[in-house]
Amino acid sequence: MMPEAILVLTHTDEAGSSLTKSSLETVTAGKTLADRLETPLVIGILATDSNAAAKSLPGLNARILGVSGEAFEKPQYAADVAACEALCNAAQATVILAPQSSRMARVAAGLAHRISGSIDTHITSIQGDEAIEVTRWLYRQRIEATITRSVRPWILLIEGGVCAAYEGHEGEGELEQVAVELPELRTNVIGTRAPAHSGQTIRPDAKMLFVAGAGWTKKQADGQVHAGEAGELILSFLQKTSASLGSSKSLVDQGGDGQPVLPFLSHMNQVGQTGATPRHPKGLATCCHGEEPHVVGWRFITERRAISLDPNCGWARGKADVVYIADAFKVIAKVNELLALKA
Amino acid sequence: MNRMKETAGSCAPEIERPTLEADIACVGFGPAMGGFLTTLNRAWMANPADPMFESKVAAGLPLQVLCYERADDIAAGVSGVVTAAQGIRGSFPDLNLADISMAAPVTSERILYLLDPIGASRRPLTLRIADRVLRALNGTLGVRDHAYELPWSPRFLHKTGGLVMSIGQFNQWVGTQIMASGLVQIWPGMPVSQPLFAQNFERTGDQVVGIRLTDQGVEKNGEPGAAYVAGIDVRARLTVIGDGPFGSVGRAIDQRMGMPSGHDKREWALGMKFVIELPEETALKAGTVWHTFGYPEPAIFGFLYVHPERLASVGIFVPSWLGDPSRTVYRYLQHYIQHPALWRHLRDGKLRSWGAKSLDESGQHGEPFLVGDGYARIGEGSGSTNMLAGSGVDEAWTTGVQLAEAVLELLRNQRSFTQENLAAIYEARRRASWVEQNARNAINARNGFHLGFVPGIIGMAIAGMTGGTISLGANIPPAHKQIKKKQGKSKDDLTRAEVAKLVVDDGRPLHDAMMSARGWPEIVFDGKLLVSQQDALMLGGKVQAMPGFADHLVFRDAGLCIQCDEKTCIAMCSGQALTSGSGDIPVFEREKCVHCGACIWNCTQITGEGLTNIEFRAGVGGLHSAEN
Amino acid sequence: MSLHIVVCAGIVPDPLQTLEPIAGPNGPALKNEMMLPAVLDPWAASALYEAATLVSKFPGSRLWLVSLGPKAKLQQVMMTIAQKVTFELVAVDSASNGFADASATASALASGIAAIPDLDRTKLLLFGGWESASRGAGVTLQTVGELLGITDQFAGVDQIDMREDGSFEVLERVEGGKHQASVCAGAPAVLGWATGNLPEPHNNPQIGMANMRTVMPALQRAKQAALTNDGQQYLSASLPSQQRQTRVVRDLAPDAIAQELVEWIRTQ
Repeated sequence: MMPEAILVLTHTDEAGSSLTKSSLETVTAGKTLADRLETPLVIGILATDSNAAAKSLPGLNARILGVSGEAFEKPQYAADVAACEALCNAAQATVILAPQSSRMARVAAGLAHRISGSIDTHITSIQGDEAIEVTRWLYRQRIEATITRSVRPWILLIEGGVCAAYEGHEGEGELEQVAVELPELRTNVIGTRAPAHSGQTIRPDAKMLFVAGAGWTKKQADGQVHAGEAGELILSFLQKTSASLGSSKSLVDQGGDGQPVLPFLSHMNQVGQTGATPRHPKGLATCCHGEEPHVVGWRFITERRAISLDPNCGWARGKADVVYIADAFKVIAKVNELLALKA
Repeated sequence: MNRMKETAGSCAPEIERPTLEADIACVGFGPAMGGFLTTLNRAWMANPADPMFESKVAAGLPLQVLCYERADDIAAGVSGVVTAAQGIRGSFPDLNLADISMAAPVTSERILYLLDPIGASRRPLTLRIADRVLRALNGTLGVRDHAYELPWSPRFLHKTGGLVMSIGQFNQWVGTQIMASGLVQIWPGMPVSQPLFAQNFERTGDQVVGIRLTDQGVEKNGEPGAAYVAGIDVRARLTVIGDGPFGSVGRAIDQRMGMPSGHDKREWALGMKFVIELPEETALKAGTVWHTFGYPEPAIFGFLYVHPERLASVGIFVPSWLGDPSRTVYRYLQHYIQHPALWRHLRDGKLRSWGAKSLDESGQHGEPFLVGDGYARIGEGSGSTNMLAGSGVDEAWTTGVQLAEAVLELLRNQRSFTQENLAAIYEARRRASWVEQNARNAINARNGFHLGFVPGIIGMAIAGMTGGTISLGANIPPAHKQIKKKQGKSKDDLTRAEVAKLVVDDGRPLHDAMMSARGWPEIVFDGKLLVSQQDALMLGGKVQAMPGFADHLVFRDAGLCIQCDEKTCIAMCSGQALTSGSGDIPVFEREKCVHCGACIWNCTQITGEGLTNIEFRAGVGGLHSAEN
Repeated sequence: MSLHIVVCAGIVPDPLQTLEPIAGPNGPALKNEMMLPAVLDPWAASALYEAATLVSKFPGSRLWLVSLGPKAKLQQVMMTIAQKVTFELVAVDSASNGFADASATASALASGIAAIPDLDRTKLLLFGGWESASRGAGVTLQTVGELLGITDQFAGVDQIDMREDGSFEVLERVEGGKHQASVCAGAPAVLGWATGNLPEPHNNPQIGMANMRTVMPALQRAKQAALTNDGQQYLSASLPSQQRQTRVVRDLAPDAIAQELVEWIRTQ
């Protein structure tokens, strides 16, 4: 078997000065793999100033390549894929790791095509004694598969949160600049935009995911719908805990014809079968039934609690650690009160 | 656009509606329509150039045949079935069962009388005495696991040469073949709201000139929303109605045209079944068929059909003549599968899916006018089900075939689809066939059940063995009167008070609490076979309830709901889509409605117009589950 | 200005069906796969609806739906989709599922697109879902784009605003629930859609009947495509067994529950 050579592709954050957390996590994945296979490690950096970005990698015993230029300030397909191609050509690696970031996900398959390689994405672990075996989920986190491939180069996009971010100590590696021949750029990135409603409710780095289900907008014990009150309780909770907000599909869809009942919710909040699968240490589900299609979105939530009126709900049967059989309106109101007191 | 001069329904606003012209408009896609369209399509494919197949509404094109189905998928039919398949095999003489998922030839049939191992069922004295005798014989003469196997099965129940099938899979197989030719278009997710009537100029009365599709972009209460789209009028030379036992088009025609003298749909049952993956070491072979009676209540019949690949359909029928106002199905089914005779085989299995549907058990008593000017009825809604043999799919299929043969003959002879012409060929063909013969034999076979369980069984046996020549007479009350409003038994009086407390304390449904109070043990959920009703709703499929359509269930008069003590509609709702609401009016959640239709015949309140207080309109969606 | 939009959209099992992997002759497969009701891949369906809206805004534009899957299943799904928006179908018959290799799928799709008569690549917007609900890799559409030589690609798109000069502004999902806004000079471009902003269109029988003139012939002439696996080998495919020992708290007052929750929220 041919010896493997590992390249980790990284990129900077919005500020452009340091490598993203997911890039540093992928560096850890690459280093671990290179150490195990006793093979050299190469890091590729995509940045306006890759020299400055390389400072995020002190003490890493690796060859560091970089592409630099204004064209790489903002993520953009044509420039990014050309840069990654140049880094791959310079590194001549057999296995290329990159973070499963929006920037890398946009170009990785195109890159695989250009370097005549193969690709697997959303990788949750890299294993294997001799061969490289990777795990990923299919059918929206419902089936877990372990895959290996014979084709090289093999690009792997590593999911965020599966490795610790690289933290080095003393020593700076020397960066080799790699030249990139850019095609004519027809796309101009003009910035980022946050949702218009009530600020930012999706917080990938939050310690907690708060999921609101359709029960919040159904008739309550008094026979009335209390959507306004529900909205206030949820937003207040998010504000006090800095939690990220998820929603069941049925709640997002509830308004029909595209208009949600709770105005701060959009399809981007949707967690589960046809939504996101975020990664947070804790998750609290409220007013949702905890069925498998909801719970597939909780695959990467470590501690799970739920508040439900139904003692036989899905959460109660092995899907959550703790289920409180109670009225979420009352519980969350009190939680908010306590959090305000203790703040 | 067409401003209809015809009347399409009582409350439809007079608005401009787009119009489509078709030669044949079909309502509902089930076994009957499968038979109709298969036969028509085959004749066209054999000779597409034949001038008889030229469309009269689209020059130069073949017949425009459009079929509209409420469910989101043609595989969404709900019924595990054993059928003698006489008609189906007639259409497919070279049938290869391997082509149809979940289909197997019948290999063995058993009839089991189930004793009550718990002691909670309400059995008449005669039955209790018989049970005692049978218990004494335990281990001998076919008595085992609290069940007595009849030494022989009566001929009228035999399904020798027949098939065990999933109707969902069968429909899918049939529909795929039909559509592949391109002649027939079957449109799922498109409910038909009503027939289009027009004055008949050649005689008194109305003719049917097509169908109206359901309005979209409306609020749940039917009010037009911002994205309102008026339902299209499909005008057709012939409208074929195969929309099942309670389809909105069939019922509208019954209301407008009336029923033949003495005919009424008074007998119903709600069938509910689980599809269970049997344990790996199961001894049950594909094609095994069990019919059971006696448990969980004497009036509740049950079945177990084994499909290939260790799948089994296991279910029960709760009939309208089980007069208990707290009658329910899901809980009974959970007790049923735990009967020792079944549990021995099912215990280590896994629930894969679930489904429910109403069955029109009136047979020929409920047969409507089969034909009229511009329309014909086929399938279960046309009264084809044979309640003696417990058979409906093959009969439905055959009525569809018979209508197609008649339509082909009329096309060939360039005759129009008038009442006379359809009666002379379709109705005459049907009357002369085995479908009619068997239906006549069965017509009074179940009358005895209105006198009690034991007379019912005796009556059924006599009718079966004499070919219907001898049967018990009975005055069959309308379905809503079969519900006994006052429970005379002291046990029930007592339990109602206890139960009311339980309901308040526990928040559980009244019927469920009633069963517990009567001695039925609580169901211990295991997450595999025994799951909550809401979990069952999500297993192996889901309920489709597209936004933009009006709610299909409407309470005509809220005051009648308030004064209703029984609320049997809630107890019998298969999906718990109807629940107790504030102010005593049930709450309807269409996201849970599987369109089983039980609420229609389980409403005890009658409006001033003589209609049940629950109106079940055309609605989209329903249970979307393939293994059904 | 007119557009030629090609939407690549596969079919997937209805999302709420029970899925179970089994070992098939060519690697893993889904148990009873042909029995499961299928739907158009949800994100690709968003792409189709967005495409139809765009086409309706620019007269002279055309919309093709390129779909790869088992023919019988494609036929069933088309009866639903064809009622929603007007398109011309290009069907590729293949036993594809989530376990199939994305690059092989991309090759088959690219061949199907390349063979579309009258397709003007200077007007081409290639649409699809940013990921599928089966493989969920986000690889296929990009690869098709590369195979067709398109170098402006967008992923996780929720909005496109076409301008009169043919350029367009596009919003892509990026980290933190935000959108990245870009302006592209114009076609050709690849847009992998997330959910977009449009509701699912109503079923319209007239649209359905119009589509049928092309849908059934397209299905009848669908070419078979065998998918290679590009050296991919599945070592295992299994359902997760993440059963937890759930503590069900029934008799605690809301205030006490709140107290417990706040303590839990505050623990590290």
